[in-house]
Amino acid sequence: MDATKSLRAIAREVLGREDIACLIGYEKGSYGFRAQPCVLTEPDQADRLIFSPLCVHNLTNYLTLEQIGPLSKADIGKGKIAVVVKGCDSRAITVLCAENGIKRENLYVIGVHSPGVVDLKKIERRFPNAVEPAEVSLEGDSFTITCEGETASVPRSELVNAKCLRCKNNVPQGCDVVVEGPEHSMEDDFADIAALEAKPLEERAHMWQEQFSSCIRCYACRNSCPLCYCSECILDKLRPQFVRRSVDFPENLLFHSARAFHLAGRCIECGECERVCPQDIPLMVLNRKLARDVKELFGYEAGADPEQKALFVTFKPDDPNEGIL
Amino acid sequence: MASKRIGVYICHCGVNIAQNVRIDDLRAFAAGLPGVRVAQNYMYMCSEPGQEMIRKDIAENRLDRIVVVACSPRMHEPTFRNAMKSAGLNPYCLEMANIREQCAWVHKDADVATAKAKSLLAAAVTKVSLLEPLEEREVPVTKTAMVIGGGIAGIQAALDIADSGFKTYLVEKDASIGGHMMQLDKTFPTLDCSACILTPKMADIKNHPNIELLAYSEVTDVKGFVGNFKVTVKRKPRYIDENICNACGSCAKYCAIAIKDSFNAGLSKLQALHIPFPQAIPAAYVIDPLACRYTREGTCRQCEQVCKDLNAINLDMQEHSIELDVGTMIMATGFEPFDANRKPELGYGRYENVITGMEFERIVSASGPNQGQLLINGKKPKEVVFIQCVGSRDKTVGNEYCSRVCCMYTAKHAHLVREKLPDAKITIFYIDVRAFGKGYEEFYDRVKGEEVYYRRGNVSEVYRKGDKLICRGEDTLLGQALEVPADLVVLAVGLEPSPGARELGQLLKLSKSPDGFFLEGHPKLRPVETGSDGVFLAGCCQGPKDIPDTVAQAGAAAAKAIIPLAQGMVKTETMVARVRAEACRACGYCVDACPYDAIALGEVRLGRATKTAAVVNEVLCKSCGACSAVCLSGAIQQSGFTDDQLLAVIGAIGKEY
Repeated sequence: MDATKSLRAIAREVLGREDIACLIGYEKGSYGFRAQPCVLTEPDQADRLIFSPLCVHNLTNYLTLEQIGPLSKADIGKGKIAVVVKGCDSRAITVLCAENGIKRENLYVIGVHSPGVVDLKKIERRFPNAVEPAEVSLEGDSFTITCEGETASVPRSELVNAKCLRCKNNVPQGCDVVVEGPEHSMEDDFADIAALEAKPLEERAHMWQEQFSSCIRCYACRNSCPLCYCSECILDKLRPQFVRRSVDFPENLLFHSARAFHLAGRCIECGECERVCPQDIPLMVLNRKLARDVKELFGYEAGADPEQKALFVTFKPDDPNEGIL
Repeated sequence: MASKRIGVYICHCGVNIAQNVRIDDLRAFAAGLPGVRVAQNYMYMCSEPGQEMIRKDIAENRLDRIVVVACSPRMHEPTFRNAMKSAGLNPYCLEMANIREQCAWVHKDADVATAKAKSLLAAAVTKVSLLEPLEEREVPVTKTAMVIGGGIAGIQAALDIADSGFKTYLVEKDASIGGHMMQLDKTFPTLDCSACILTPKMADIKNHPNIELLAYSEVTDVKGFVGNFKVTVKRKPRYIDENICNACGSCAKYCAIAIKDSFNAGLSKLQALHIPFPQAIPAAYVIDPLACRYTREGTCRQCEQVCKDLNAINLDMQEHSIELDVGTMIMATGFEPFDANRKPELGYGRYENVITGMEFERIVSASGPNQGQLLINGKKPKEVVFIQCVGSRDKTVGNEYCSRVCCMYTAKHAHLVREKLPDAKITIFYIDVRAFGKGYEEFYDRVKGEEVYYRRGNVSEVYRKGDKLICRGEDTLLGQALEVPADLVVLAVGLEPSPGARELGQLLKLSKSPDGFFLEGHPKLRPVETGSDGVFLAGCCQGPKDIPDTVAQAGAAAAKAIIPLAQGMVKTETMVARVRAEACRACGYCVDACPYDAIALGEVRLGRATKTAAVVNEVLCKSCGACSAVCLSGAIQQSGFTDDQLLAVIGAIGKEY
């Protein structure tokens, strides 16, 4: 509740400023556990904002859009965009700025120390009948859930999103203003990836065959990804056509592999792709496998340092391998 | 797009290809591929009759695309491009399939080799129809050369270029040119005095109207490309105007600060204000700012008082940089003797009578600290041991290579010892004696006849016993352990690349071979060229070599460096990267990935609007493809290797034939 209060105070101040075109934040949703992104333009809208473990979205995805909510391109150009970010989301801004996807000076970044967001799929399984907007807050080690008039307490570990359990750092970086809260950070040991790799090849092949066969190529993963923002995606091209339009295992495999490689050294592991997948494909496993390899091979972590260059263009004169020079 | 008229030419390469790839099968296969009008085979396609076949078919069958199925394009692509050009076809409508290195030579089974040759041929035919004619362009050349490094290699190269009428800058990091050759006493095998044969060339540098000597200077930045380099040269403050100083030396008498004399390999001292050696060019004094009392503490200025009339000394001189336009460059950055401290078992640095070959040169040199007398601690050594291959042919220090001069300079040293000390016992520990040059074997033979004991084997340890050093090793010919006492141990240290050459190499984008020396363009056919057009190699920066080889290579590098200057124009790369601005997201990946600074982000017109996108400087582009590899949206494509061309190739190779 404190975070929401502080956020509203900041928003009132920020939205009153002339140089801010809009503020992208979260508001209470209209259904069950769904909080929803909102675009505010006036100070008196500030009280719509919330911040709770239901604020799962990575709002930086909106920053590269031509049109943001009610605002046209021309409206956006009138001032900075204020955006609410969690620790993981803030690293997306770092990557976006490093590759000129957005200009930092066009942003006003409001960071929040997130104590971890819920896994919507888990919480909706646990409380399947939630229709009225529910409320969730973290008290100590448990989520307090108010849903359909009843209040329940569930241990954090049971409902929290898996990405938050291995959160590298929940302190947002490079913010203009921060709503502070408990800090935590930990070293990611990629145990999940190691466990998968330890399985026999056939088993893994079978698993991915099953997973990718179920993909309906709705492109929600691509659209929700803050770092998939090319105006012309190479996987949509017809000449040359890298991926055919047919929705079947080989083409789906190609699509997801290509996307994973394009995110190697860029993916900041916000987990949006996996969250929005209607087929529950564990897409983060692909991204994390590459993140682990990139870390092991090159000692590189996406978005870790605003000063670092993109992995693909990092060149070391003393590289042990032969280069093109 | 009108359908293409393709000619396919399959080369036997004598029996190189024909013995393992069924040529007739291949030709029949080629004739059946879409677009192929002519499919021929011939014993040597690169021969004049082979090329004539292509020219004739182009004329008679109106061919517009050529596929040559032979060897690697690295050797003969230019050959066939020229043949096409002379027949009036755009030379970039050529594709080569390499069925020699990739099929005939690597597969034992003719079925396998032939099947693979078909795949490669089909891929080449598929790709050639997608190739687009490209235009060749030329840019004018700045008719000036720069030589970096003022040792014998740089001196010779600079003189040769200047003699052919082109202005040449010679950049030397030290206060005088001359390099290591100046430090040597005698040269093998003729025993000429090293300084005596070098100083006339140094004087020529000073007096040559086409040479501008930039001593005490370093290259700090290089931009541009062959014919149009922009080089930034840092001029370090000498504190003495080299154009005014008459080298009278009065000032030095008043300088009380002593420093190690690096010219004498640190064996003697000189003043902070000094001339590196009497024959130095420029013939001017210099002040070492790390030692000078004024530059360090802000007091003294005695020397300025002494030179009041001439006023050559200016202690307030500042470092400054100049920018020079040059057309071609020669790297002549030389070598550094191996640091014998890296072989602690040999006692260097621990025992003062263990010295390196370079120190020996200075000790026996008439201009050295002992005026040529071979004295160690004031005494004539009775027993002298030479240890060869110190820091060469030694994986434990990371140097697998042979330094090529140590065998001969050790033989020369042994000869000099014999000359100066007729009664001394001289022992040489060697692994193999490499006396490969003209007159070298004869010289080695002569030295062996001067009561010099060559013992085959490595020395594992040098230690002190009483007032003697003991060299412990094994004579591998006799198969017995050996301890040889010595009053003087001389380590035949090998040659390593100059420490400063590394950064310079990065500026000029030069590759290094595994030994750390600069990599030549081709080990046999482009021995002085580099991967960077317009940059050439001379002397030990390319690998250890003796003086005759260095001088020969310097002449060769000069001749190569003169070619673009004489031609006045250089061709730029044709197969450059191209940007499709609509798809470009202006992320700048390509800008950072380009090793040649050929790409920048800029505003481009797109219909009526403008957009930020990558822009390629086609003159700088070397068609390496790094940009298109990092482009996520496929917006930047390298001509001749575009995504649709490569995808078609992969498709063709993936098919069953």
